[in-house]
Amino acid sequence: MVEQAVARRWLGGLSAHSRPLILATVSAGVVVGIATIVQMALLAGIVHQGIVEKVPVDELSLLFTGAIAAILIRGVAQGLQARYAARCSRTVRSEVRHQINRCWQASGPVAIGQTSAGTLAREWLDHTDALHGYFARFLPQMMLAVIVPMIILVVVFSLDWLAGVFLLLSAPLIPLFMALVGMGAEKLNQQHFQTIGRLSGQFLDKVRGLTTLQLFGQTAPAAETLRKRSDDYRRITMKTLKIAFLSSAVLEFFSSVAIAVVAIYIGFGLLGYISFGPAGELTLFSGLLILLLAPEFFQPLRLLSQHYHDRAAAMGASAEIVDRLQNGDPAGEPAEPAHQPESPDIIAIRDVSLAYDIARPILDRVSLVINQGDVIALTGPSGGGKSSLLYLLAGFMQPDHGHILVFGDRPGEQTFGWLGQSPFLVHGTWADNLRLTTPGATDIAIETALHHVGLEGLLSSRKRGIYSAITEDGQGLSGGQARRLSLARVFVANYDLILLDEPTAGLDSDSEIYVLEALHKLAQAGKTLVFATHHQALLTLANRTLLVTEGGVRDA
Amino acid sequence: MHELTPWLALIFRRPGRLVIGGALILATLLAGMGLLALSGWFITATALTGILLAAGVQASLNLYVPGGGIRFFAVARTVARYAERVYNHDTVLRLLTDIRVTLFKQLSVAGRKRRTQLRGPQWLSRLTSDVDALDTLYLRLIAPTALAALVTAMLLVAAWVVYQVELAIGLALVLIPAFLVATVAVYLRTRYLVYQQTDARERVRTDVIEHIEGFGELTAAGRTGKHAALCLRQAGQINRNEARADTRTGWNLGLSQVMVNLAVVLALWVGLALFQGGAISGPMVVLLPIALLGLQEIYSMLPDAFARLGGTLASAARLNQDCTAPAQDQRTDCKAPVDRDHALELDQVTIRFGDHAPVLSHFDFAVQKGQWVGIIGSSGAGKSSLAEVMAGLEQPASGTVRHIPAAYLTQKTVLFDDTLKANLLIGQPDASDAELWRVLELVAMSDRFVHEPAQLNTWLGSMGSQLSGGEARRIALARVLLNEAPLLILDEPFTGVDTHTRASIATGMKQWLEGRTVISLGHAPEALPASDRTIRLS
Repeated sequence: MVEQAVARRWLGGLSAHSRPLILATVSAGVVVGIATIVQMALLAGIVHQGIVEKVPVDELSLLFTGAIAAILIRGVAQGLQARYAARCSRTVRSEVRHQINRCWQASGPVAIGQTSAGTLAREWLDHTDALHGYFARFLPQMMLAVIVPMIILVVVFSLDWLAGVFLLLSAPLIPLFMALVGMGAEKLNQQHFQTIGRLSGQFLDKVRGLTTLQLFGQTAPAAETLRKRSDDYRRITMKTLKIAFLSSAVLEFFSSVAIAVVAIYIGFGLLGYISFGPAGELTLFSGLLILLLAPEFFQPLRLLSQHYHDRAAAMGASAEIVDRLQNGDPAGEPAEPAHQPESPDIIAIRDVSLAYDIARPILDRVSLVINQGDVIALTGPSGGGKSSLLYLLAGFMQPDHGHILVFGDRPGEQTFGWLGQSPFLVHGTWADNLRLTTPGATDIAIETALHHVGLEGLLSSRKRGIYSAITEDGQGLSGGQARRLSLARVFVANYDLILLDEPTAGLDSDSEIYVLEALHKLAQAGKTLVFATHHQALLTLANRTLLVTEGGVRDA
Repeated sequence: MHELTPWLALIFRRPGRLVIGGALILATLLAGMGLLALSGWFITATALTGILLAAGVQASLNLYVPGGGIRFFAVARTVARYAERVYNHDTVLRLLTDIRVTLFKQLSVAGRKRRTQLRGPQWLSRLTSDVDALDTLYLRLIAPTALAALVTAMLLVAAWVVYQVELAIGLALVLIPAFLVATVAVYLRTRYLVYQQTDARERVRTDVIEHIEGFGELTAAGRTGKHAALCLRQAGQINRNEARADTRTGWNLGLSQVMVNLAVVLALWVGLALFQGGAISGPMVVLLPIALLGLQEIYSMLPDAFARLGGTLASAARLNQDCTAPAQDQRTDCKAPVDRDHALELDQVTIRFGDHAPVLSHFDFAVQKGQWVGIIGSSGAGKSSLAEVMAGLEQPASGTVRHIPAAYLTQKTVLFDDTLKANLLIGQPDASDAELWRVLELVAMSDRFVHEPAQLNTWLGSMGSQLSGGEARRIALARVLLNEAPLLILDEPFTGVDTHTRASIATGMKQWLEGRTVISLGHAPEALPASDRTIRLS
């Protein structure tokens, strides 16, 4: 329930953000309501004039013109309502995506890496879209379901207060009615989506294992199981739905009975059978108008119950988005601002501490100076803090204490080369992949970089060179080739600092040699290299090996 | 529209249900119209009688028939609505089952290529949304459209019979365009906006996933902002198209309602003229206009359904493609080995992907019946491809494969969201419970389940989520062991199984598979049961 409240508050904040558009949507809806009332009044007036007062049709053209004008206004307002609603939902969703993006940005790569990319992408894309119905339909309708019936009630009361009382009684209190509608609709939606979810689950489960079923020749029995399961679900669901549908039947019942009661009351009143109350003053005009307005009184409520599932969907999605936004623990500002300016030729680590768990700091008051052009190997037991030190140098995390300056700037302020543990490829061509981090790279630079990491052989087998797609015919690169491609990005970019996390882990021997050679070339070019590794060949490549363990860093 | 043909055929396989469901909706609509129209008639009639009575003229009005009619319509509307919702929801759930079962059957005979080509989870999520799009086709689109046309026709006929033919023609000239504006026009105006949406979404999804996977690299290069802006722009484009489609739908809805209301005005105008000409009575004047007002309810359901039609057609087209993927990669009935003593023969087999260097070229290989062969290769050496070719799941680029009937344990562990028993019976549908326990004993899993209250009927959960990786692997192995095929192809049979258990299972397998041929593939000799012969891929 706490999450529900938080999600509701967040949705509230979003609607405050797009208030003008929501107001425009509601205003257009109110215009529709008023135009409808005017139209009905004019129609009732025409009937009264034509039948009771016997005014010739030709003399009623003013009233007819008025009715047509009201109809046209109603249509235009209806179109505008759809337009504002669509625009409102669009702005809100764009705002939410920006929020999520800012949250990712603040969390940094380390925190982001804790959750699967698929999940994050789903939140960003699908959960955000789940807000559409709430902002485009439910939220405006919620206000309209109060405003429009109110206006109609006022009109009906002014015509005949007893008829107004009938309407009011049939919907005792609009909020109570709405709660009733809501409860029923909520139950209904839960059931419905649960069933569809289960059915889809069963279906997908079978499709996922289709090859296995084919191998054992069991596809026909599996289809039979699928049918049986679906049928069972249907039977169970229908039992609950029979009750859930009662709530909409209640709404229907009240509105039908209200119309019937009003009609009979007016009829008897017009006949003069009712001697008390305002019935004596009823005319064909007022009587007919009350009748025509009665269904319009219930229409907004009916629409609201139709849109109720939008609310449920938005609540579910926003609970997850809010959760992400709140736990998107910002990496935080540096604990202490850098007091002394450091030489722009060194990477200075001063008195840095970092702990995930207070009792066991990963780094404890570490101070270190790395000179430009150094090739540093970080070694030590896994979980000893090698990766953490790299993250700090990259600015992906901030130290709890102390400060770091990379060539005179805060970590991450200057661009640098980064090679994570898992290689990173994008769908597209070889050139797309290298230009991702260096958009201005020339074709020659790209070819040279690929040459440096030993991919020119593979490239020459492709018809369109660096403009051929990386994945062709469903066959991608091997792990080692992908790692080398990532390394090629570092070559096109000409960074001063290059950080690498286990650059040779899990590579086949061919790829390993290429990576070693490439790193050697980078070192010779005067780049500063820092890598975490256990690999002997890499250790020998370094001019300085640091042992990171038990909270300390020392030369090995 | 031809994309929908197979699915429409499927839906119309239940004509009785569809007609009854449609009739219930019709009853709901007519009861609503009847309630209002009769009430309007009643009020007008009482007003006129009241005036006569007030003037002292002797007049009477039968109150019972219209009063009873009003009460009847009020109750009928409620009852019909409730019955309609229950009945049609049941129909939708039945159709849901029909569509999924049919789709599954078709997928199971279609080629495997398309399934493996498209990325697994993405394909499955797309499949889900595509199937969902077809579920509500009847209730959203078919029934309302048919009923709107029917009710319009009924009103036109009524106008003709009760009023005059000119009025009927005039109304037809307004209502038919209103119908088209609410249906076909919406479809035509939104078609190109929604048709590509699913593909566009999947492209953005890919980009966002790449954005997150490369977050470290992009941050280091100072490019997260630019790349995020790219994703945002694409998503914004999709939302803009959606908003445009929604807006157009809204305008069409508005326009069709305007036209229906104009029909009301027309009917009123002509009705009054007829009344003043003495052709019809006063109460009859209001009957038709009020009934026409009721048309708004039906017409308002149409634009939204037709706005989705473009997307539904795209979904149907994709599903059709999934089902009719080229069957040339079908698991063909494998040829029997030339030499009767051989269980498997590979003749000059080459395996390659596209224009890449072949993983295996001109490979000759034969396995004697009863022989246990181990094939060892590092990851990426083409082990699994070889296994798939041997099992007949993939065709080699050249050469021929011949073998006796085989059971194949895929590298990926596949368990179903079902009971343990159901999962095992896939391997051998007529196996007895005793046999199942025996094979569970063999893979050292009987202890795990003998204490479960449901024993063999223990629910394994989707993807075998109740089990550890090694446990799930052993269930998958047990399933293959149950199968009576004389040849077993096992790809990494012991993934995630500890050394001790592995050894005991391997020993058990020797006895269980006495006289059968076993080809097992793995990354190292210790990952395989003891073999008569071991070959190494490089």
